Amino acid sequence: MPIASERDVIRSELRWGLITAATVGVIFIAILSAAFAWQMNPPSNVEFIDPKTLHLSDEFTEANLGTQVQGDAIAIRMIASQFAFLPRCVVAPRGRPVTLRLASPDVIHGILVTGTNVNTMVVPGYISQVHTTFTKTGDLLMPCHEFCGMGHSQMWATVRVVEPEAFKADAQGKVACAQP
Amino acid sequence: MAEHPPSDQTPAGAPAEQAAVDRHWRRLALAAVGVAVAVGGLLGFVIIPAGQREHSHLSMDAAMRRAAGLEAGSPAHPQPPAAINSLPVSQVSWDPAIMQRPAAGNTARGAELAGQVCAACHGETGLSVTSAIPSLAGQTSYAIYKQLHDFRTGARVQPDMTAVAQSLAVGDLASIAAYYAAASQQYAALGMRDLSGETEIVRVAWEGDTRRRIPACMSCHTNGVGGPIETPALLGQNREYMAAQLNAYASGARKNDVYGRMRDISRRLTPHEREQLARYFQGTL
Amino acid sequence: MRSLERLTLAHLWTGFVAFAIACLLGVWQMWVRSPLTAPLSTPDRYYQSVTAHGVSMAYLLTTFFVMGFGYYVAETSLARPLPGKRWAWIAYGLGLTGGLIAAIPILLNQATVLYTFYPPLTGSALFYLGLVLVVVASWIWCAQMLVAMAQWKRSHPGQAVPLAMFGTTANAVMWLWTTVGVAVEVLFLILPAAVGLTETIDVGLSRTLFSWTLHAIVYFWLIPAYIAFYTMAPEEAGGRLYSDTMGRLTFVLFLVYSLPVGMHHLFMDPEHSTGFKFLQMTLTVLVAVPTFLTVFTISASMEIAGRLRGGKGLFGWIATLPWERPMVLATGLAFFMLWFGGGGGLINMSFGMNAMVHNTSWVTAHFHLIFGGTVVIMYFAIAYTIWPKLTGWQSPNISLQRLQIWLWAIGMMVMTLPWHWTGLQGQWRRIAAFDYSNPLIASWGPWVIVSLIGGIILAVSALLFVWNLVTLHRSSSPRFAVGEVPYAEAVHPPGRLPASLNGFGLWNVIVAVLMLLAYGYPIAQFFIDPPPQAVVHRLH
Repeated sequence: MPIASERDVIRSELRWGLITAATVGVIFIAILSAAFAWQMNPPSNVEFIDPKTLHLSDEFTEANLGTQVQGDAIAIRMIASQFAFLPRCVVAPRGRPVTLRLASPDVIHGILVTGTNVNTMVVPGYISQVHTTFTKTGDLLMPCHEFCGMGHSQMWATVRVVEPEAFKADAQGKVACAQP
Repeated sequence: MAEHPPSDQTPAGAPAEQAAVDRHWRRLALAAVGVAVAVGGLLGFVIIPAGQREHSHLSMDAAMRRAAGLEAGSPAHPQPPAAINSLPVSQVSWDPAIMQRPAAGNTARGAELAGQVCAACHGETGLSVTSAIPSLAGQTSYAIYKQLHDFRTGARVQPDMTAVAQSLAVGDLASIAAYYAAASQQYAALGMRDLSGETEIVRVAWEGDTRRRIPACMSCHTNGVGGPIETPALLGQNREYMAAQLNAYASGARKNDVYGRMRDISRRLTPHEREQLARYFQGTL
Repeated sequence: MRSLERLTLAHLWTGFVAFAIACLLGVWQMWVRSPLTAPLSTPDRYYQSVTAHGVSMAYLLTTFFVMGFGYYVAETSLARPLPGKRWAWIAYGLGLTGGLIAAIPILLNQATVLYTFYPPLTGSALFYLGLVLVVVASWIWCAQMLVAMAQWKRSHPGQAVPLAMFGTTANAVMWLWTTVGVAVEVLFLILPAAVGLTETIDVGLSRTLFSWTLHAIVYFWLIPAYIAFYTMAPEEAGGRLYSDTMGRLTFVLFLVYSLPVGMHHLFMDPEHSTGFKFLQMTLTVLVAVPTFLTVFTISASMEIAGRLRGGKGLFGWIATLPWERPMVLATGLAFFMLWFGGGGGLINMSFGMNAMVHNTSWVTAHFHLIFGGTVVIMYFAIAYTIWPKLTGWQSPNISLQRLQIWLWAIGMMVMTLPWHWTGLQGQWRRIAAFDYSNPLIASWGPWVIVSLIGGIILAVSALLFVWNLVTLHRSSSPRFAVGEVPYAEAVHPPGRLPASLNGFGLWNVIVAVLMLLAYGYPIAQFFIDPPPQAVVHRLH
C-alpha cells in the first residue's frame, strides 16, 4: 500500500493549511469590509457611570429616558434594571442613524433587537452604546438576554420603528410611544 | 504495540542537528505569533480607526484613542450631545456608606422615637391594627429608611407621614429604621403567614405572567433574590395598605419607585388582581 | 484490580454520574421552556436546575473525566507506574468533596448564579469554595502529569514523548494557565463579596478575569477527545496515524492560542475597546487552525485504514472502515457534528456576525453541539475502549454501545439544529417562560418542541450509556483478556523532532507574551482607571 513519504505528508498538510487560511481570510475580509464600508464595530464604548447613583445622574434620570432628538442626532436612552426596561417602549425612525445608550443600576443585563444587529451587554459601571439604523418599520422585541435574576424571563422592551414622517418630536425634542 | 524506536541522542539526531531543528522551529513559531499579533494590532488599533474616522470627523489621534478604549465612543461615529437635566424621583441612593446608616442606626433612640412618634398609628409593637396603615415590625431597614427619606423630601406624598418625616432629623430616620427592623422582630409581624388564594393569583405571585411582562412578585420580594435594595417584605403586611399602594402606583399618584418598576407592574395588573394579591400576601396567622 | 484501574474508574464514574443527572435536569428545563406545561415551573426551580446542570456538565463531568483519563494515559502510554498515586487519591477526595460542598447551596437555592456566576449576583460562599476545591484537585493532577512526563524524559533521553502523553501534558500546562483567571476572580473578588468582606464589586474586572478562563476551558475539555482522535481512533480502525508531527503541533497550537482569545466572549461588552477585541479576534482565528489540521490528519489516517481494508476510489475507503467498532463510529459522528459546531464557531468569532447571535439560542446550540456532541461522544468512545481493560469484563453486546452512540448523535442534532434557527431569529437565552402569545415567539414554539424531543433522545442515550458501563462490571459478562493499550502508530514515527514538539518551554514563553499583549492592558485598566463598582447582590 503506497504510504506517502514524510515530505509528502508535510506537503499535503501545508496544502490543506492554505485552504484553511483562505477560508479564514474570507471571513477577515468580510469583517474589514463591514468595518470600513458600514462603520461597523462591536459595541465598545468605554464610558463610566456610577450604577449606585444612576437615577440621580444628569443623563439617566427618569424624565430623561426615551428617544430624544437634538439637531441631527437621535439618542435613545434606556435603563435596564431588575426586571424591566424603562421606558418599556421607545420610538425610532426608519432609515436615520440612532444611538442607543443603556445603563444598569444593579446587575448585568443585555439586549438584542430582533431582526437587527443591535446587541450589547449592559454592565453596571458603564454606559453601553450602540449605533444603528433601523431599516424596517414595525414593533421589534428588545428582550433582556443575559440572566439577571428570577424575573429575567419577563424582561423585554418594544422598539417601535416608524416612518420618518410619523417621527415627530415634542417641544423638548422627545418622542414617545403612542400607547405604552 | 511497540513505542517509537529509541534513539541514542535526541529525537532529531546529533545535538548539533537538534539545535538546528530547534532553531528553525523556534523562528517559525515566533514569526507566526509575531505576524498574528502585528496584523491584529495594526488593523485593530490603527488601520480600522483610520478608515472609520472620516465618518466621525475625528482626528487620527482621537480615533486611535477611542479604538484603544482610552476615550469613550466609537472611532466610527460621533458621540451624541449631552442630555438635558431633569429631576430625579427619589434622592435615596445606595452605596456601602449609605447602607451603613440604617444598619448602624441607634436602636435605643429608635425605640424612643417609635414610642413617641410612630406607635400611635403603627401600633405599640409595630403591628398596625388599622388595615390601611402598614405594619413596620420586621420590615427591612432599607425599606423603612427609604420611605421615611422620601416622605421627608417629598418624593413620596402622604399628608400625615410627610409631616412626621419632616419633623425628624436625618439621623433619626436611620435609628427608626434600625429599630423596627431589628428590635421588633420578636413580634414576627411580617413573614409567618399561611398563604392561600385563587390559582391565577398564586401563579402571578410565584411565576409571574410572561405575556404581560409581570415578573413573579417573589422574584423581588424574597429577601435577597432580586430587585432593588429597598424592596419591602410583603408577607403579613396589611391588605388595605398594600392594595392602596398598588393602586397608587398604577395611577401614578405614588412615584418614588425608582425607574418605575412598581408603577409599571401595577398598571398591568387588573384592579381585581391588585386587590387579590394584597389579600394573598396578607395571609392568615 | 490494580490501583490505576481503581483510580481511573473512580474519576470516570464520578464524572459520568454527574453527567447523567445533569442530562435529566436538562430535559426538564427544555420542557419548562416549551409551549407545553411542565411541573414545578417557577423561576427559582428553573434557574436552580440550570445552575446544577451547568456546574455538573462544565465542571464535574469534565474535570473528573480529564483527570481519570489522564492518569490512565500517563501510566499506559509511558509504560511506567504513575508517580505519586497517593497524591492522585488525595486530589480525587478533594475534588469529590468540593463537588458535594458546592452541591449543597445549589440544592438550597442559595447559589442560583448559573455556572458562569456573573457578579454582582453572588451566591453562598460554600458554592464557590466547593468549586475552588475541584480546581485545586485538578492542579494536583496537572503537577502529576508534568512530573510523569519529566521523569520519563529523564529516563529516555533523546526520545520522543509518546503522543498521547504529550497531548495530556499539554492539556495540563494549558489548564494551569487557564485557571488563573477564574481563581483570581473567585479568590479576590467573589469570595470576599460572598462572605461579606466587601459590599461592592468591580463587575468589568470580574467578567474579564472569567473570560480568561472561559474559552481556554473548552479546550481543556476537548483535548482528551483529540487525544483519542490521534492515538486511539486510527488504531481501532486498523490504520496508522497520518502524521505524528501534526498531532504534536495541534496540541501545541491549542496550548498557545486557547488563552489570549477569551475576549471573544466579551465582544458585546462595553468595558473593552474595539482594538483589543480585534486583536483577540485575530488570535481566535489561529485557534481554529488546529481543528482544521486535525480534521485533515485524522481523515487521512482513516483513509489509510479504509484502503488497507480494500477501499478503492476517491471515497470508497469510507465504506470499508470498521464502523461496528464504537471508537470508529464515534469518530465519524464526531466529525460530522464538528462541521456544524465548528462552522458555528467561525461565525461566533467574527464580531460582526457575533452581534447577530450573542446570547441567543445559537450560542446554546453551538456549545451543546461542539462540546456535548463532538467532544462528549468521544468521551463515550474512550470509556467503551478502556473500560474492559479497567474491569476485566468485556461488553456482552457491543451493538448496545453503538446504539447509544447513534442515539447521542441523532439526539444532539435534533436538539441543536432548531436552536441554531431560533437563535438566528432572535430567541434569547436563559428564559424560564416564553410569551407564546406573541406571534414571533409562537413561531419558535414548534422548533422548541423538536429540540425537546432531541433532548429526550439524549437522556435515553445517557441512561443507556450508564447501563452499558454497568454491564462492564458484571461477572456475568464475557471475560476480557487484558492486554496492552494499543495506541496508534504513526506512518512516520517522529524523526527530526524539535525540542519544542517534545516539551513546553518555548510555548510557555509565547503564552506569557501573548497574554501580556492581549490581556495586559485590558486587565490593568481596572487598576489604572478603576470604574465605579456595583453593590454586591447576595442571593441568600
